[in-house]
Amino acid sequence: MTNNIKVQRAIHNMTQADLAEKISVSRQTINAMEKNKYVPSTVLALKISKLFKVLVEDLFILEEND
Amino acid sequence: MKTNYLLPNKYKLLGWPLFIFGLIGGIFISVSNFETTGPSIKVLSIYSESFIDSKNHFFKVIENEILDEIIAVFIIIGGLIVGFSKEKVEDEFIYKLRKDSLVWAIIFNYVILLFTILFIYDLAFFDVLVYNMFTPLIFFIIRFNFLKRKANSHDE
Repeated sequence: MTNNIKVQRAIHNMTQADLAEKISVSRQTINAMEKNKYVPSTVLALKISKLFKVLVEDLFILEEND
Repeated sequence: MKTNYLLPNKYKLLGWPLFIFGLIGGIFISVSNFETTGPSIKVLSIYSESFIDSKNHFFKVIENEILDEIIAVFIIIGGLIVGFSKEKVEDEFIYKLRKDSLVWAIIFNYVILLFTILFIYDLAFFDVLVYNMFTPLIFFIIRFNFLKRKANSHDE
């Protein structure tokens, strides 16, 4: 699975730390997600998409090997 | 992330000194070949076996030198607190790192134990047993802190 968190973050002009604070996780979590090293829970995915006002499907994209 | 078994973050301040003092004490008595034994006091022994006649005793008060017990308690309680206190920001990613570290530590510990079972014999194996009481916890803490540091270092 891949995601557009970094792009959305740039659009909203947020740092990793800003986003982390808004959804009350650590900055490492954001970093790990952007590097595709961590797949967030459904709850966290929904929180992020709500914050950026986009659909979860537009933020997180399945890849062929998923 | 809601978990019901993690202590508040401030407990780490208590856990780390206990754990470190325990480890230093443990190294110290290992180096002294378990001959430094500390004060001797009367303790309740639920089960004991006499060296002289190999008889079993239940619920008997015996004399025991307690330095090794103190050190073991320090390492275990300190280690449990360090390993199972919340991080400053406790979230699902940290939770995953903690779980992954636990799995890693158990597998790593038993691989090493298997190796020592096959290649270490006699009284030397007694040392292995002593260390093996603490290594799962120690490996877990090392691995967990390593993964945390790694997650911290690769920045934007």
